[in-house]
Amino acid sequence: MAVDAERRVDDSPRQAEPGGVVADAPPIQAGGVFGALLSPMPLYIARRVLWGVFLLFVVSALTFLIFYTFPSADPAALRAGRQASPALIAQIRHSLGLDKPLYDQFWIYMKGLVLHFDLGYSYQNSVSVRQQIFTRLPVTLSLTIGAFVTWMLIGIPIGIISAIRPRSRVDRTTMGGALLAISAPVYFLGLVALLLFSNIGVFHLLPGAGSYTPLHTNPRQWFESLLLPWFVLAAAFAAFYARMVRGNLIEVMHEDYIRTARAKGISERRVVLRHGLRAALTPVVTLAGLDLGLLLGGAVLTETVFNIPGVGRYAYDSITNSDLPAIQGTVLFGAFFIITANLFVDILYAFLDPRVRY
Amino acid sequence: MNILKSARGRLRLGITVVAVAGLALLAAGCGSSGKSSSSGGQSSSTADAVSTTPPPVPTKCATKGGTLKVLSAGDVDHIDPGEAYYSFTYEITRPTQRYLLYPKQNSTALRPDLATAMPTVSNDGRTVTVHIRQGVRFSPPVNREVTSADVKYAIERGFSASVANGYAGAYFSVIKGTPTTPPATPKPISGITTPNTHTIVFHLKRPEAVFVTALSQPLTAPVPESYAKKFDDQAVSSYGLHQVATGPYMIKNNKAGSINGIGYQPNHLIELVRNPNWKASTDFRLACANEVRFMEGYQDPTVMAKTILSGAADANGDTPPPAAELRSILSNPSQKKLLYFTPTGGSRYIALNTRKAPFDKLDVRKAVAYVLDRNALRLTRGGVVDGRIATHFIDPSFGNKGFDQAGGYTFNPYPTPSFNGDLAKAKAMLTKAGYQSGVYTGPQVTMVADNTPPGSDTAKVVAADLAKIGIHARIISVTHSTMYTKYCNVPKNEPNICPNVGWLPDFHQPQAILDATFNGKNILPSNNSNWPLLNNPKINAEMATAEKTLNTAQNYEQWGRIDKQVTETASAIPWLWEDYPTLFSSRVVPAVMYDNSGSPDVSFMSVK
Repeated sequence: MAVDAERRVDDSPRQAEPGGVVADAPPIQAGGVFGALLSPMPLYIARRVLWGVFLLFVVSALTFLIFYTFPSADPAALRAGRQASPALIAQIRHSLGLDKPLYDQFWIYMKGLVLHFDLGYSYQNSVSVRQQIFTRLPVTLSLTIGAFVTWMLIGIPIGIISAIRPRSRVDRTTMGGALLAISAPVYFLGLVALLLFSNIGVFHLLPGAGSYTPLHTNPRQWFESLLLPWFVLAAAFAAFYARMVRGNLIEVMHEDYIRTARAKGISERRVVLRHGLRAALTPVVTLAGLDLGLLLGGAVLTETVFNIPGVGRYAYDSITNSDLPAIQGTVLFGAFFIITANLFVDILYAFLDPRVRY
Repeated sequence: MNILKSARGRLRLGITVVAVAGLALLAAGCGSSGKSSSSGGQSSSTADAVSTTPPPVPTKCATKGGTLKVLSAGDVDHIDPGEAYYSFTYEITRPTQRYLLYPKQNSTALRPDLATAMPTVSNDGRTVTVHIRQGVRFSPPVNREVTSADVKYAIERGFSASVANGYAGAYFSVIKGTPTTPPATPKPISGITTPNTHTIVFHLKRPEAVFVTALSQPLTAPVPESYAKKFDDQAVSSYGLHQVATGPYMIKNNKAGSINGIGYQPNHLIELVRNPNWKASTDFRLACANEVRFMEGYQDPTVMAKTILSGAADANGDTPPPAAELRSILSNPSQKKLLYFTPTGGSRYIALNTRKAPFDKLDVRKAVAYVLDRNALRLTRGGVVDGRIATHFIDPSFGNKGFDQAGGYTFNPYPTPSFNGDLAKAKAMLTKAGYQSGVYTGPQVTMVADNTPPGSDTAKVVAADLAKIGIHARIISVTHSTMYTKYCNVPKNEPNICPNVGWLPDFHQPQAILDATFNGKNILPSNNSNWPLLNNPKINAEMATAEKTLNTAQNYEQWGRIDKQVTETASAIPWLWEDYPTLFSSRVVPAVMYDNSGSPDVSFMSVK
C-alpha cells in the first residue's frame, strides 16, 4: 500500500522550474504551513536547537582533548594493576581501543552516541555508562526538584517581606542571614547539618549520609533522607533569590503604575502581589530555569557530602577513577541539561520579546 | 599490592581533616618521639606507636542472622575475583570465594580452604600438587560441584587480556606453558594438569619460594569454564557482573546470574546474601549474618567514623578514621575498645631516582637520608596513630619472617636524633660527594607528588628538608593515580624524587616486599614499581638465589640481608611502617583479616 502510494506520487507529472521549485507544488501562502515554518519563530527555534547540538559536539570534543592533553591517569595501566607486564598493558590498551589515534577514538565514540545512543562502558567495572546515568537520574531529579521547591518557597517570601519593609529589623536579619547562606560552601554547610541534625549529630532528628531511599521503596524514608540535602542545597539559592526578589520588588514598587494602582485605592496587599511581584518575578523565573538545568546535570557536592547516589556522585567517582567513558557521559549529560535549559529560556524570551527572534 | 589504602587515588573531602590535624601537630613542635632512643633506633617495647593487638578470633556466632554494614569511600577495583587486586575488594572476595589456601585468623600463616590440605611440593621443588575438597558447590545459576578443572580455568583466564589479572605474571608465570604475550581471551596452560576431578598439579619451570603462598590469592578461586567462557571471550570480560560464588555468601543476583544493578550497584552498594549451596561442614568460616551490605560513597572519613560509632553501620571498609577522630576515640574508654590497629605489613618511602643526577651518587642520597625529618613526615599522615617510623623495608609484623633477620628495630643505617634529621651529617655527606660547604649547588630537582593531603603535605616536608642542604625541588602536583601511572611508574618520565610511594605486600613473605620494588630485573618501561630504578648486580644476584630457596629459615635469612643492603643504598628512604585502624560498632562481635590490613572479616563477625 505504501509502495503504491509512493509510486503514485512519483509518477505524477512534474515540471521543474529554474531554481528547482516544482511547478505543481502548492504555492506558499502567508499563514500556510510553509509560511509558518519560515516565520521568524520556528526558524529561531531551529537555529537554537542546531546551535545546541553543535555545542554538545564541542563539549564532547573538549572533554576528550582535556582528558588526553592534561596529565591524567593511564586507564590501561589502572585496569592492569600494579604488577602487570608491559605486554599485558599494551594488550588492554588495544582491547579498549586506546591505542588508536585520538580522532579515531573520538569518531567511534560519536558514531556510537549518534547511532545507538551508546555512551560506552566504564573502564573500571564494565557497566554501561548510559545504564548508570539513567539509574541515577531519578535520584538527582528527587534532590534537585525538592531543593528547587524549597528555595523558591523560602527565597520568594523572604524577598517580598524584606522589600516591603526595607531597612527594618526583619529586612536586616533576613538579608544578613542570606549573606551567610551565600557565603557558606555546600560541603561545609552539609557537614555542619550532618553533625547537628542527623543520626550522628547533636540532635538525632533525621537520617544521615548514605540513607537515601528511592521514593517507590518507602516514600516516608525518601522524604526524610532528602530533607537535609534539600535544605543544604537550597540554602545558597534561597538566599540569592531572596536578595534578587527584594531588589527587583523595591525597584518595581517605585514605578508609576504602582503609584497609580495605589491612587486608585487598591489594597497594599493586592498592589504588591498582583502588580509589583508579577513584574519583579520575571527575571527570577528565567534564572530559576537555568539553575534547575545546571543542577539536573548533577549536584556534585551535595550528592557527595550526603552520599546520595545521583549523577553528580557518579561524575565525581568517574573523575577520581580516571574513567573516561563515565566522565564523558556525565559531562555530556550535564551539558545537555544546561543547553536545554538555556534553549528553553531563550525561546521563552523570544515569545515574550519578539525583538530577539531577529 | 597497590600502595596501601589510598591506591585508588581518591579525592576525599574529609582528608583535609587529617591534614589539619597533622599540621596542628607540626605546629605543636613535633614532640611525639621522645621515647625513641638517641641512636635513632627503637625497641618494640618503647617505640611510640599504638598497640596493634587484633580482636580475639570468634569461635562461634553471638547470634545467627542479622545484617552487617561495612562503609567505604570508594568502590572495589574490579568486581571479578580474577581481576581483584585491592585490599578492600578482598573484603568481598573472601566471604564469597574459596581460594585454594586461606590466611589463618590473626596470623600470617596459611591454612587450606578449597584445598583439603596444604600443597605437597616435590623434592626438586618443581611440582606442586593440591587436592581439593569434595562437596563444594557453585552458587546459582551454576549449582554444580567444584572440580579441579575450575581452578585450572580460573588461573588460565588470569593470563588473558580480557581478564588482565595484575599479579598472575608475578607469581604464576613460573608455571610451565604460561604465555609470554597475553592472549586476548583465555587459553589453556600446559603446566597445569588435573589428573582427576579433585586434584590439580602445577608443573613449574624452576623452584619458586613464594609459589605455594601465592595459592592464597583470589586468582585460585574456581571459575566454571562452561558458564564463564562467553563472558571471558569479550574484549573486556564481564564475568565479574555474572560471577558465581563458592563461599558462604554470594553477591545478590537474578535468575540469569547477573549482579549488575542488583547486588552490585557500582560506587553505591555491594550486597551479599547467603549462598544456598554452601555447606558449613566443608568450611571453617562462621558466616553468622544473613546479609552483608558494603555501603559505598562515604567520602568523609569523619562522617564514616561517627556513623559507625552511632551504630548505624558496623565497620570501616576502605578508609581509616581521620587522626583527630582516632585521638578522640582513644581518649574515650567506651569507644577505645571498639578500635583495633593492625600492621599493614607495608611501608611508605621517599624514592630517589638513581639514574639521574644528583641522586646517582650514593653520598648525595645518604645526605637526603640524614636530613629528612621522619617525625615531620609521619605527622603529615596523622602522627603516632599511623604507625612506627620505619628504618628499613620489612615490616615488624613479619617478625621472624625477615624482619628480625634484617636487624629488627635496631637496624637503622642513617640514625638521627629522635628521627628529626641531622643537618651536620647530611652536610658532611654532601662534602664527601664533592659539594663544598656541604651545600648542593647543582640544578633544581623535580618531584611529582599528590595534589591533595596528606601526600601533598609529605612532599612539602621533603622539599623543606632538602632546601636545608641546598637541594631545591620543583613540585609537580597531580592526582595520586596520575602520579603513579604517568610519572613514577614510567622510568622515562620519572622525576628525581617520588615522595608519595610505598608498598603493601600481597602476603607475608619478604620477597613480596622487596622483589618487585628493588630488583633490577623488574624495572619495566611502564607500570614499573622499582621506583628508585635500583639495579645493583650484587643485590639482584642475592635476590635470584633467595627466590629459589625453598628452605624457609634460609630464605628469611637471605631476604633479611637483602633488606639491609637495599636500605644501605639509600635509594629509597623508608619513613613509616603503617598501621591500619579498624573501627567497629558496639552492636557487633569484631573480626579482622590480619593479613589484609585489618580489614573487617565479615565471615567471622556477628551481630550481638
